Amino acid sequence: MTIDSWIEFAKGPLFAVTFMVMVLGLGRQVLLQFYFLGVKKGRRLRNVHWKQVARETSSWVVPVRHMEPGTGLFSVASYLMHVGVLLVPLFLVDHIALWNAFLGLHLPAIGEGTADALTLLTISCAILLLVMRLLRSRHRLVSRPADYLLLMAVLLPFLSGYLASHPGVNPCPWNVMMLTHLLSAELLFVLMPFTKLAHVVLFFFDRISVVHWQLRPGAGDRVAEALYRKEVGAR
Amino acid sequence: METQTIAAKRDEIATPARRAFPYHVLEKPGDNMVDRFLEAFAWVLEYTDYKPLLDSYCRSTAKCNRCAVACPILLASGDPRDIPCYRTNLLLDTYRRYFTMGGWVKARFTTPFELTEELLYEMGDVFYRCTVCRRCTRSCPLGFDHGLITRLGRYLLSLVGIVPKALQVSVQEQLEGETHNTSKVSRAGLLDVLSFLSEEMEESLGVKLDFPTDETDRDYVFFCAVSDYLMEPDTLMGNAAVLYAAGDWDRWTIGLCNYDGINYGLFYSDWHLEQIIKRLVAEVDRLKGRSVLIGECGHASRAAHDFIPTFMGQRAPPVRNFMEYTLDCLRAGKISLDPDVVTERVTYHDPCNLARSGWIVDQPREILRSFCRDYVDMTPKGADNYCCGGGGGLVSIDELHDFRMEIAGKVKAEQIARTGADIVVAPCANCKKQLKELVEHYEIPCTVVGLHDLVLRAIEIPGGKSPAERRAEAALFAI
Repeated sequence: MTIDSWIEFAKGPLFAVTFMVMVLGLGRQVLLQFYFLGVKKGRRLRNVHWKQVARETSSWVVPVRHMEPGTGLFSVASYLMHVGVLLVPLFLVDHIALWNAFLGLHLPAIGEGTADALTLLTISCAILLLVMRLLRSRHRLVSRPADYLLLMAVLLPFLSGYLASHPGVNPCPWNVMMLTHLLSAELLFVLMPFTKLAHVVLFFFDRISVVHWQLRPGAGDRVAEALYRKEVGAR
Repeated sequence: METQTIAAKRDEIATPARRAFPYHVLEKPGDNMVDRFLEAFAWVLEYTDYKPLLDSYCRSTAKCNRCAVACPILLASGDPRDIPCYRTNLLLDTYRRYFTMGGWVKARFTTPFELTEELLYEMGDVFYRCTVCRRCTRSCPLGFDHGLITRLGRYLLSLVGIVPKALQVSVQEQLEGETHNTSKVSRAGLLDVLSFLSEEMEESLGVKLDFPTDETDRDYVFFCAVSDYLMEPDTLMGNAAVLYAAGDWDRWTIGLCNYDGINYGLFYSDWHLEQIIKRLVAEVDRLKGRSVLIGECGHASRAAHDFIPTFMGQRAPPVRNFMEYTLDCLRAGKISLDPDVVTERVTYHDPCNLARSGWIVDQPREILRSFCRDYVDMTPKGADNYCCGGGGGLVSIDELHDFRMEIAGKVKAEQIARTGADIVVAPCANCKKQLKELVEHYEIPCTVVGLHDLVLRAIEIPGGKSPAERRAEAALFAI
């Protein structure tokens, strides 16, 4: 197969399959969490201040009041990277055709200059985060390989997409860069449900620790019985 | 950059295996610690609701380190073991490896994370370097509750016998001992104390009040930290003064079968948390009481307020903290506080168990501002305030005294010193003990009192001595 036919494959069936993996995988996470909330916890939930939870969650959309000394640079870089990560894939002119074709969505387009600026912002913030994670001992100590690799996996589609649309700075042939862009984006789709990128949907469920503090009545007795009866029986 | 395995990273920063915990345990852990821990974990996942929480956390943990800058212990120690998400990941890694499909698959292809005895010793150490203050939760963009994970870790360790002896012995006495309270105060002992307090109040306030014990059909059944009966007479007299001045002396009682609001289960064991709550509610039911009134204790208040509804469902009696009651009386004009009695600079420490969730933040400040001429707030305050350093049960563990002074309470001590306050109000038995030790250790010239200690000085007592008279008398006897 030629590179161009690979590109057609990546734009067509492979895009559909990987996108479905992402949707189904993330959808499964969401459904499981709702099942837990609604079915298992449902009637037992008492005095949960959902408005307060919603207010606190939405305060992170523009988290100015959450700035803390010692994390300023990391927080700002992360926030700006997220802005680019959310806006460019959805509203870039070239992508809108994709959403229209596959999902029937008619999304508005952002201007080319804005898209370029956002993409460069995302790339530079991602590189900055990677460097900070490598250089700061506090970050290095809690990071495992996935934390570095996923940053690079997020960086790659943006970098390849920018180079593909700017032949002047692109060192490779356009179709090679385009294929890289498509495959790296599709890799992200597949990775999303199985890595920390799932925070895209799990973000809301992580924030409801007030619900998790409402422990299950009688659980302690059952655990003790199961655990110690065996030991007692063994004596 | 070399890729590190988890084991290599742990070896790099973990303390060498000493085969010892930094606190006494009742029984030395036997063999098969790892197997028993995993079995306990399996049963906990089976019967509790922790699985979705762990699933969610495993798949979202960002490792952004924002929790690190919020943690007063890490700020003081600089020890990477104190990074909240490092500690949480000890448990998440265990969960992922042994209880998820992804962990099982990954183990087939790579060198997997492995739970070892060294790791369990490390967990036993680091889970008790956390005061469960949950400041990190407010800082985490994903809202990870590292305090909840610390508790889960402690619960699992307790199921294999790894618990600080101080906490375990207290709980055993409370649930199975003769006195049924954590300080082994007998019923006769309690009645002696109440009689003494009665005499004190007659002498200082000028009114004869007998504490109502075992009265049935009252609106409030009162529980405080039982140690307050021994160590905080002014707080208790302040509570009594408010009840009397508000005309509610016939509306409350102390139960003689259970008079201890302390609940160490909140610190380390879901099982004991529930059992202690049930005993508390049983006492309220025995006395046909209509609600629970908790004295000045942070964790006792939170244990009752949050977990009575959780465990007792529809049968749950309402729960109030005494400061809420006092504020209602003040706002309704049922009590009156003399604004000329407390002239020293006063500041307020927010106990984590009252303030972190936003439950009790403004109420005590409103009370204090109504009669303290020179009231100043700490920075940060309210739900963002720093832990005293003795939370999560650490204050009760003598072996951790140096840790509490040098590390856990260091940021708090600096915060108190910055206010220039003469009096620090801390409406929590554990915070009071910790802060008193802290101000002595760091030679900060201030005293630590409960909120009702100050209220006692300023409250107008119908038919009794005025606050000014009482102040003059107290000055005569001051050393």
